[in-house]
Amino acid sequence: MRGFVGRAAYFARETWINVRRNLTLTVAAILTVAVGVMLVGLGLMARYASANALGRWQGGVQFEIFLEPNIAGGQIDALGQELRNHPDIERIQFITQDQAFSLLEDMLSDEPELLAEISVESLPPSYRVVPRDAEGELIESLAAQFRERPGVYSVETGRQQVDAIREWFNSFRWIVLLMSIVLAAASAMLIFNMIRVAMFARRREIEVMKLVGATNSFIRLPFILEGMLHGLAGGLVGAAAAGVLRNHVEELFGRSEILAFFRSFTVTSGQFTTATLATVLMGVIVGALGSAFAAGRFLDV
Amino acid sequence: MIRLNDVTKIYKGETRAIDGVSLNIDKGEFVFLVGESGSGKSTMLRLVTAEEPATAGQVHVAGKDLSRINSWRVPYLRRNIGSVFQDFKLLPQKTVYENVAFALEVIGRPKNIVTTQVPAILELVGLSHKQKSFPDELSGGEQQRVSIARAFVNRPLILLADEPTGNLDPNTAQEIMRLLDRINRTGTTVVMATHDQTIVDQMRRRVVALRAGQVVRDEQQGVYG
Repeated sequence: MRGFVGRAAYFARETWINVRRNLTLTVAAILTVAVGVMLVGLGLMARYASANALGRWQGGVQFEIFLEPNIAGGQIDALGQELRNHPDIERIQFITQDQAFSLLEDMLSDEPELLAEISVESLPPSYRVVPRDAEGELIESLAAQFRERPGVYSVETGRQQVDAIREWFNSFRWIVLLMSIVLAAASAMLIFNMIRVAMFARRREIEVMKLVGATNSFIRLPFILEGMLHGLAGGLVGAAAAGVLRNHVEELFGRSEILAFFRSFTVTSGQFTTATLATVLMGVIVGALGSAFAAGRFLDV
Repeated sequence: MIRLNDVTKIYKGETRAIDGVSLNIDKGEFVFLVGESGSGKSTMLRLVTAEEPATAGQVHVAGKDLSRINSWRVPYLRRNIGSVFQDFKLLPQKTVYENVAFALEVIGRPKNIVTTQVPAILELVGLSHKQKSFPDELSGGEQQRVSIARAFVNRPLILLADEPTGNLDPNTAQEIMRLLDRINRTGTTVVMATHDQTIVDQMRRRVVALRAGQVVRDEQQGVYG
């Protein structure tokens, strides 16, 4: 037990000496790790957020039949009757041109100039339709049935939006993943170099250690710990940055009417914890890999 | 203790540093390796510490065939061998005590062993009063005594010394030889590569002379040349 404590003290002391020796390089490596793993964290949170939002829409999805602005009153009623009697439709809601305008007024409250260009008469009235079953196929076939009716301007299904958003989020995730791989590789290489410099600075000690019969793992361990420490520091900074960004973005979604649509893109606290832990862990792994490679490669003195 | 069986060492495909050497050194012997620079003395020591692999033939150290030993076992082999060099190889930022203690710490010896062994060995080499000095505050002879203390603190079976008196004046060299002789009397096998004719002639121990990587003379109680 005393041997173990002594050894732990030895490793802690040696690691700390190494960290202090290269402060600028240390900071550079930590920041690179931080940015890299922050992207990993954000990518993970974006994934959770899109899954959460899509799940919600897929549960209670509706679609909207937009009518020609100049449609005759009789046509509106006839269409409404047909929708109400349709076996696959649960309920409908009619949105008049006035109501459509007031919705738009809400959305464009920040931009009155834009609103001034739009007249009530130019807006399409619409039916919001909630089908009995929120199945994508059913919604699509219902939409197709009504799309070609006289007086119908267009039919917007939630599915199209969901697909568009899913696609957008998928490509966002890929970009983030790619960037984080590049940054993770860059930070591993920085740590690799840092450990190489540290080992070079201590080559006399390493030579003596080998001479008196210290095992390779004993010689390597302080250097690997040093790399992991940098990775951990970078991971913590990156996770904190991702957390701050997440709050900022959610606040932005909450405040801006234009981005109101994104309000359903939220991350639960459990998911946030998972993403944070993954972010920190990623940093430690990057640090361990970079330093383990260096320690393995430059031990022959 | 050390057995070389028709050993050849070729560096980079051309230089024959050791050429078909067979040699047997028993436990407790004191052996001088003599010969000109480049005759293969240092290479022979490096073969024994497994710093270099033999190109052909077998090197046995403390009963182990080094050509068959796993690389992860090499450190454990080296714990049986103490090494002393012409340039001391002391760590300048550590004190005398720390330099010696370092050799025990890095092989994972517990602290109570370190705190008893280090003062004892410093007493043996006569440097108890300089424990807290740094290497650059010591004379060459004192530095070499620290280096011998470090090599011997783990009580190795073998002590290899490569020109240990090369940087020292004759009187100081005598001191170092008395110390190595004392260590040899404890049963430790000592192999010393040297150019120092006076010392070899005075000690009258076994002399192995090398020329161009071959053993040209092997005498008990021999002289330099």
